[in-house]
Amino acid sequence: MMKSFLRATVAASLVTAGAAGAWAGEIKVGSVAGVTGPIAELVVPIVAGRNLAVKHVNEQGGLLDGDTMKMALVDSQCDPKAGVDAGNKVVNVEQVVAIVGASCSGATNGMVQSVTIPAGVVALSDSATAPSISELKDNDLVFRVAPSDAYQGAALAKLAIDAGFKTLAVTYSNDDYNAGIAEVFAKTYQELGGTLAGNQMHEPNKASYRSELATLARGGAEALAIFAYYGGSGITIIRNSLENDLFGKFMAADGMFDASVLEQIGADTLRGNIFITQSASDYGDSSYKAFADAFTAAGYDPVSPYAAHGYDAAFLIALAIEKAGAADRGKISAALRAVAGPPGTVIRPGEWAKAKAVLAGGGDVNYEGASGNVDFDSNGDVSGIYSVNTVGDDGKWSTKLIE
Amino acid sequence: MMDFINFHLMPGIILGSIYALGGIGISMTFGILRFANFAHGETMTLGAYFAFTLIQLTGWHPIAVLPFAMILTAVVALGIDRVFYKPFRARPAIMLVIASFGMMLMIRSAIQFSWGVQLKSLMPGIQRPYILFDALRISPKHMLIIGSALVLMLAVHVLLSRTKIGKAMRAMADSPELARLTGIDTEMVIRATWVVGASLAAAAGVLLAIDTHVETMMGFKLLLPVFAAAILGGIGRPYGAMAGGLIIGIAEELSSYAWIGNEPLLAPGYKAGVAFAIMVAMLIWRPSGLFRGKVF
Repeated sequence: MMKSFLRATVAASLVTAGAAGAWAGEIKVGSVAGVTGPIAELVVPIVAGRNLAVKHVNEQGGLLDGDTMKMALVDSQCDPKAGVDAGNKVVNVEQVVAIVGASCSGATNGMVQSVTIPAGVVALSDSATAPSISELKDNDLVFRVAPSDAYQGAALAKLAIDAGFKTLAVTYSNDDYNAGIAEVFAKTYQELGGTLAGNQMHEPNKASYRSELATLARGGAEALAIFAYYGGSGITIIRNSLENDLFGKFMAADGMFDASVLEQIGADTLRGNIFITQSASDYGDSSYKAFADAFTAAGYDPVSPYAAHGYDAAFLIALAIEKAGAADRGKISAALRAVAGPPGTVIRPGEWAKAKAVLAGGGDVNYEGASGNVDFDSNGDVSGIYSVNTVGDDGKWSTKLIE
Repeated sequence: MMDFINFHLMPGIILGSIYALGGIGISMTFGILRFANFAHGETMTLGAYFAFTLIQLTGWHPIAVLPFAMILTAVVALGIDRVFYKPFRARPAIMLVIASFGMMLMIRSAIQFSWGVQLKSLMPGIQRPYILFDALRISPKHMLIIGSALVLMLAVHVLLSRTKIGKAMRAMADSPELARLTGIDTEMVIRATWVVGASLAAAAGVLLAIDTHVETMMGFKLLLPVFAAAILGGIGRPYGAMAGGLIIGIAEELSSYAWIGNEPLLAPGYKAGVAFAIMVAMLIWRPSGLFRGKVF
């Protein structure tokens, strides 16, 4: 009897310790990402970017008094409902100090509105780009290092005009990210003198879009602007369009930027017939190079969408914890603003030991990230630069920065 | 007019054939085993992944590996029934429903673990359709999908009407107590039900994968229309599920045709709601379905 009581007590205390999350010497940060779902391939390098930053932090002295920074990875499935579950898990079970993520705009919107804002936890997304995230009443708890699609949609519209397309059809998937960027795109394209021959929402994950595309094609558009996740509906839309001669030319934003588009449709079929914008980095910048070298050494492609942003997001959270001087949820927001922008000693990717020394001496740091200068505006947004991707002669995406 | 056939009716028939194959399994497990099998969608996914691996190993055409994928899936379904569902057989049906929900998550995770979450393709590239009579467009893979579905449905018909086990299955769907009293080996019938249901589910998964691609959520996304097909046709009525599947598939696609004026009757974004609406309407006004199935 006594024995079993003892066993129960030990078990209970173990459970409590587990729930509290942080064993002595370990600080947990949530890493929420769409590991499964329609952008599964894209998320792999983003999570690798986050983990590389954590590796740099832990190799160069760790957080605060030598504590280990640990990422609690949870799957948000690129879905608002799963995003809420993921947020609950990291906030209430893992008891994280702050969160990097979620990946998709819908998942991020769900997670921050239902969980992290009420709980007072900072969420810093590395790839959620919907304009609607800027407008959240977030008590300064929602940040992102990915630029708002208010810019990307306009950049893509300008490219369409430059490419000589006078009439376009638009189809967008029914979710926060795609509806948001489609709206900006359609508005800018019309302001620049283009005509929309059709603008239609579609439901993702259907087996066929032939009837939708036939309706859109009746408007006589020269090309189709697709706002969708490649694994949700994007690839099916391109395939249905080509197989039925409904559309031959396409443009899209970063939700479609993946190698599987070329694998599934065929690079030769798409060469010269598609361009895709993507949030990019200034590839000549020394911050980017520092990241790119380390990321390449780790076996990943540094140009992967939002990988640099993933690195920056995790590194910034580490800096914010160090600046706050404690693993205290309430202090992260102010500390994050302090370390992300001027004034202070410039810190670049990989320079954790330097940052730690400056902060220990009571100084300020200003992180200049691999993805850009990451200076947050009042909405917690950053400005961004974009690249345009076409199919290269080697059958892979060929990337060029947009001036 | 040709637009109507090419872009609305044909996709509807293709989609409907896939729903029909999936619906037969749902309808039969519901009718004979008396529970709504939520893992049925995952069974379809599993079939598509088996086909993917078989193609990788042999380099054969997807239709050539289809029978083997169906056998493998049926074997897995039998194993799952033996280990997970059999112990619940004498318990209230709700326990089986919940067990199947758990099984759905387990199969999906096992697939994600073994094959990864990346998109895969059974037939990469695009296929231009044949153009018949200058206007009717049909691509070879769609002929294959419709043809395979027809052959399989015919096989189900022969099984149910001409064989002893088929008759036993129909008897059990009508009244399990009476079937047992007349000396039918109910465990045997249950195993046969799993084999038929799972192999048709695998076929539905492979045919869908031929039309689109292979990914871990593909079966789950089909679950709702497939349930709607089973309910529309009448639970426990395989012929009903075939008709129900075709009706739901065609209704979904035709709902966005410009019946009045030039605008789609229903914005295509709401197509998925059509299956829902049909299901709810049937449950309210005619719960026994078109073919007078079971009402629980």
